[in-house]
Amino acid sequence: MSGAAQGSAATTKAVTDDKSKNGEPAAEKKPAAQLEEDDEFEDFPAEDWTEEDTQIPGGNTHLWEESWDDDDTSDEFAVQLREELKKLGHTK
Amino acid sequence: MSRQLVATFCHEVNSAIGNRDALKIRSILVLEPPFANPVYYELIEELRNEYPVGDDGSEDRLEAVISAAVTETGEGKDEQGLPVQEWRSMVRFLAAWLTFIRDVDTSQLLNAYQAMSDVQTKGNLALTHPTQGILVLPTLIGYAQIFARLAIALDRQPELAQVALAHAKKDKSDKDKAESLAEKAANIVRPGFLTCLNDRNTVAGGIKDGRPDGKKIGAYKMANVCLKILFQSNKLDNCSMIFKNIETASPPLHFYPAGDRVTYLYYLGRYHFISNNFYQAQMVLQQAYNDTPIHESFLKQRRLMLLYLLVANLILGRFPSERLYARPEAVYFRDIFHPITQAIRKGDLEAFQRMMNLDLSWDYAAKLSRWKVFYQIGNCCEIMVYRSLYRRVFLLAGKQPGPMERAPPSLDLNAVVIAAAFLEKRASASPAKAQANGWSFNLQAPPTPPAYIDPDFEGMENVTPYVHQFDIEEIEGLCASLILEGLISGYISPKLKKLAILGAKKAGSPVKAGFPNLWHVLSTKKREQAGTEDVEGWVKTQQMGGGKVVRLASARPAGS
Repeated sequence: MSGAAQGSAATTKAVTDDKSKNGEPAAEKKPAAQLEEDDEFEDFPAEDWTEEDTQIPGGNTHLWEESWDDDDTSDEFAVQLREELKKLGHTK
Repeated sequence: MSRQLVATFCHEVNSAIGNRDALKIRSILVLEPPFANPVYYELIEELRNEYPVGDDGSEDRLEAVISAAVTETGEGKDEQGLPVQEWRSMVRFLAAWLTFIRDVDTSQLLNAYQAMSDVQTKGNLALTHPTQGILVLPTLIGYAQIFARLAIALDRQPELAQVALAHAKKDKSDKDKAESLAEKAANIVRPGFLTCLNDRNTVAGGIKDGRPDGKKIGAYKMANVCLKILFQSNKLDNCSMIFKNIETASPPLHFYPAGDRVTYLYYLGRYHFISNNFYQAQMVLQQAYNDTPIHESFLKQRRLMLLYLLVANLILGRFPSERLYARPEAVYFRDIFHPITQAIRKGDLEAFQRMMNLDLSWDYAAKLSRWKVFYQIGNCCEIMVYRSLYRRVFLLAGKQPGPMERAPPSLDLNAVVIAAAFLEKRASASPAKAQANGWSFNLQAPPTPPAYIDPDFEGMENVTPYVHQFDIEEIEGLCASLILEGLISGYISPKLKKLAILGAKKAGSPVKAGFPNLWHVLSTKKREQAGTEDVEGWVKTQQMGGGKVVRLASARPAGS
């Protein structure tokens, strides 16, 4: 298929562009229209790439919070709950 | 002039076969108009004149011409002098290709779909030739990708699907009637996938010089086409067979090109997600996400991977960080998911119930539902909200013994009843009213929770609507469930209606002892349940002999 030649051209292009920009400029944009909001997983613009192309500045660490319990008993929500509990004699 | 171009094309294909140039064959057998090279229009013209549609003999005559011109499809010998069997299926495939380009009208999707089914099927058969079949692999992969696009486009046009169904009803069996066009397309591509996966004409293990050998190179590309069609047409049950096939016969995934790998892992991750295997889903999706370039042209795929990765983690008690939200592919995710994680953090049952209301009245509910994650979040995260609510009430109203007391820290469960009832009442008020009251709802007359009457009984007399209200039995039962799930660590005194917490000194504080880290508890549990870090469908190590390892430890000796 003609798509083959196009595919390999796209591979080179996508990966070279990536290297020249290092991903930074893309990070500042918010291309909202582009992201609305189909769940079709489109074919990649390249068939293969190297590990180097996937390196994020700063790495993939600290993406998740594993300890998130909230001990704040002075926020609005806690204050309202305390009021309610107090009315019925249940606060400390 | 007659037959000249058909013959020319045949000679071109013949020399490409002779040179074992699969890419050349792909470049000749172009399928989709508009054709860049005008010679294809001349070829079509010739086909229409010499082999007109509707003429019964056209196809036979074409096959005869091809057979005579593409001599490489005859019996012969390979480089080592070993006999090569006839490749008749290639002749039929070439005839199908010529017929397709002669007839195709891209504005008639249904006809194009039916014609492509034929080309794809014949291509699959050509692929099965043990030594020559590999020469049509790149062509067939390209065709399968076009076929998938066509099947998905048709699936989105219900009126066309209806026409197809009516056709099927006329002359097909019951089984065919039940199949959608998309499922059928996946089933047409699937034999090609199996031919690649099960290619025996490879080195042992299927990996040569660090690359998949023979037709095995095409296994994941073909699998991904099937998966794409099945996902887009919501036929997820059918995916499991593909993952099982891969599990049984595939070389390790890491030998495949990155695009194949990541696409496959995305579908595998989503499949585990839908199957409620969230721990496996996050492992697979994290790998896919890590392995995708950060370039802008990959943003859409990165976003989808991150979405399902995020929700799988959320359900396991691991929340997105601000750093994640700042990623370009995570745009708007904070607006959607931060309110949910805040409600879970605080134990804010009111906010959570409002967001997860089944009427999809929350701003982002419809979007989450479209992404097929809404019900999973509602069902799986509610228990976390309750855990946080017990925790929050413990912080506000828990009893901590003095230094000389021997009693453990405890919580009167009646206090939780009050808190839960208070929040549920607020959740049932209209948002405007709750807003208008400036969060001081308890100063007003409390609203009544919504009354439920089953639609079947609506309008009947003497029917008392059901009004849910928390009571001590329910709160005690919920607490027992949380203890059983390991989300609260303690025991209940049924007599005193209290939750007692043990091990406060060892843990550092009663709240740490009583409410262990949720991600730690859930991920450990899921890991233990699975009994392995392996994920079904993700082949990481070489399978010698192409099969699964059979464990004989528990087998009895023969004759015993």
